[in-house]
Amino acid sequence: MTTPHLVVERVGFTTVQDAGRPGWAHLGVPRSGAVDHASFALANRLLGNEPTSALFETSGGLRMRLHAPTTVVLTGADAEAFVDDRPLAACRPQRITEGVVLRVERMRTGVRSYLGFAGGLSGEPVLGSLSHDTLSKLVPIGLSDGATVELAATPERGGREGVAPIGLDAPLHPAALTHALLSPGPHQAWFDPEVLSADRARWTVTAQSDRVAVRLSGHAVPRRLAGEVPSLALVRGAVQVPPSGELIVMLADHPTTGGYPVIGVMNPDDVDRLAQTPTGSSIVVARQRT
Amino acid sequence: MPHSDQPSARALAPEVRVVKYGDCALLIDGLTPGVAAALREVVLRRLHNDAVRVVDVVPAATSLTVMHEPADGDVVRHHALAALDDSLAFDAEQGVTVEIPVRYDGEDLPVVAATLGCSVAEVIQLHSNAVYVVEFCGFAPGFAYLGGLDQRLHLSRRTSPRTRVPAGAVAIASTYSAVYPRESPGGWHLLGTTTMTLWDATRNQPALLQPGMRVRFRAMS
Repeated sequence: MTTPHLVVERVGFTTVQDAGRPGWAHLGVPRSGAVDHASFALANRLLGNEPTSALFETSGGLRMRLHAPTTVVLTGADAEAFVDDRPLAACRPQRITEGVVLRVERMRTGVRSYLGFAGGLSGEPVLGSLSHDTLSKLVPIGLSDGATVELAATPERGGREGVAPIGLDAPLHPAALTHALLSPGPHQAWFDPEVLSADRARWTVTAQSDRVAVRLSGHAVPRRLAGEVPSLALVRGAVQVPPSGELIVMLADHPTTGGYPVIGVMNPDDVDRLAQTPTGSSIVVARQRT
Repeated sequence: MPHSDQPSARALAPEVRVVKYGDCALLIDGLTPGVAAALREVVLRRLHNDAVRVVDVVPAATSLTVMHEPADGDVVRHHALAALDDSLAFDAEQGVTVEIPVRYDGEDLPVVAATLGCSVAEVIQLHSNAVYVVEFCGFAPGFAYLGGLDQRLHLSRRTSPRTRVPAGAVAIASTYSAVYPRESPGGWHLLGTTTMTLWDATRNQPALLQPGMRVRFRAMS
């Protein structure tokens, strides 16, 4: 009997992600893991998986063939997704048979979808995680066209077909971020109090955004002090201001330390939504008064 | 040396401040360089004894960041403030010292010597005579910032970083020395190379150099 597995026929913009690598940051290892925590958690919850089970995080172009019957679910961005040629509905665990072809083609809205399987993906963890860390190049499960990925063999667990155990009013897809209120950062004193205090301060998501950080452009950010700050630890949601004046908001693969002043910190729910906000979108960013 | 004779972090840096760093982290800032790694041990011990779950405790140049569950902000703050007054366990004499053999064949040796107005042999001597401390890690897994570099070797980074620095490259920049754990881009001045493995994720201790450890470089002929 062969191990249940799938074969990736076309990778597209896809990585394997789980809850990441907490506990290693003091050695310079980023947290990594799924960028949109809420959509990741929802996928595993819908499947009855462990909350840290590994799945696919994709921005589209993904095609795979299943070599075992299993249950699949799709959460996160609203994507054109198919089981063979039938659409795969969001947030509805669906039984699939051996041999079917799964596709996640294009994001209609949002940036990242999460494609999970009952029991999760299986592999040899690196530092306790199967996450692909794009900054540190830690890749426990390397995806390429033709790659085989094992499925954890837990047929009896996982997902009631057709049941979406979230409230009827709950959105099927995360909304884009339109307004963010930053809590105070460690380097408030580096900036004029007026910076990011005007409610008309609209920022634009730039194309230089990835799993490491989202870069926002739009305004000059005058500094009161010159130079760099002593390197300090970065956290998810920390907003760095380099001399160019962009806002760099840290996501999952952010470096563990950095030397630019941090003007504020975005709250975790807003970071989830920022991760689903496409290039070119406009966001009003303000910071709390201290 | 008796434990109580050790100074506290607050005694070393009276201006230290403890501030919220978002909903899930606390920043202890304004520490004396080199203290963060020792303070990390004190904070970890306190939180462990009180069964407070912390996610990561990350030393940096002059700060320590404690990443915690959102609900634990107050208890983490309590222990952080108390830890500042606890004596720090510096293991200056009996602590772990890692000796790293170096072949001083770095591309930047002549430029560094010329910049400092001394000979290549003097640069090597200054670099290999010092005792370094791992102040913190960053930049890449296992990349340790080594404090204790002789002041005469303090240089700003190269104006243009190299796109490729080999694994094992021994380098200096600013007030630090470091060993590149694997091939990467880098803007530090290259003094030599070592064959020691700085980073191996399959080892029980993946990083050879961890915060608080002492390091010596030994020149190989």
